[in-house]
Amino acid sequence: MESKFTEAHQKLSEDGHESECDKIAKLLDLMIDGEASTEEQSYFNTHIEECVPCFESHQKQKLLKGLVSGHLKRVIVPESLALSIKARIQETV
Amino acid sequence: MSEQTGKQLSKEEKDARFEAELLPVLDPLYNFAYRLTLDEDDANDLVQETYLKAYRFFDYFEQGTNAKAWLFRILKNSFINEFRKKSKQPAKVDYSEVEGYYNSDDVEGEGGVASTTDMRTESVQDLIGDEVASALNALPVDFRTVIILCDLEGFTYEEMAKILDIPIGTVRSRLHRARNSLKEKLEKYAKSMGYNS
Repeated sequence: MESKFTEAHQKLSEDGHESECDKIAKLLDLMIDGEASTEEQSYFNTHIEECVPCFESHQKQKLLKGLVSGHLKRVIVPESLALSIKARIQETV
Repeated sequence: MSEQTGKQLSKEEKDARFEAELLPVLDPLYNFAYRLTLDEDDANDLVQETYLKAYRFFDYFEQGTNAKAWLFRILKNSFINEFRKKSKQPAKVDYSEVEGYYNSDDVEGEGGVASTTDMRTESVQDLIGDEVASALNALPVDFRTVIILCDLEGFTYEEMAKILDIPIGTVRSRLHRARNSLKEKLEKYAKSMGYNS
């Protein structure tokens, strides 16, 4: 079964036209950012169920986003900042 | 109170409304400022300046609309107009140096091999965070900005387009290039952590 899918994708990319995998690559960011339309989502999901390289690209892109959202430390706001903003605003006429 | 327009509010009412609507954004705003300037004092100044500007234009702010996006836009413009010239250039972190350090088994003057090993197991989370920060800080500021807005602050492409004053198509392409760049910088590290690319 696997070989059949591999063949199919090779055929698509050999004819010079944009392959299905190229289209999927363009949807990667939209997918991980929750910006893909319903149609794009189902097109994407159907494809990655069958295509291992695209499935892996998707995993990697999710991992990259997760590294930033989950591991980048937030800096702590200095306590004085809110107070000085309030003070400066109150002075403003 | 029949009308809610800012001009009809007393100074006290306006201040209270301002604080209630806009001060909750202080934390993400300060973090954004810090990621842009890479300096705590500069971030502090930039955030203060942003709030003072927002206060001057508060009459034009519609209550209940996206306060966070509005403040981010003001801050980003302030950064470009006034701050960029004087703020420090993105720290040019020598990635290979950092990477070499963490992979090294013989860190000199740091308590030897044993403590290095302990450090590895104890603070893997911190280590990843530091690595991501180094890679991110080494990106050009435009790339850093879209990644922060999207991945850290969770803005939509449409909100990002408004904050940055660019078309959505440009948001998408810039984000794509920024991620490729970040990916490159993190690739070595990812491999050392067992992710094969």
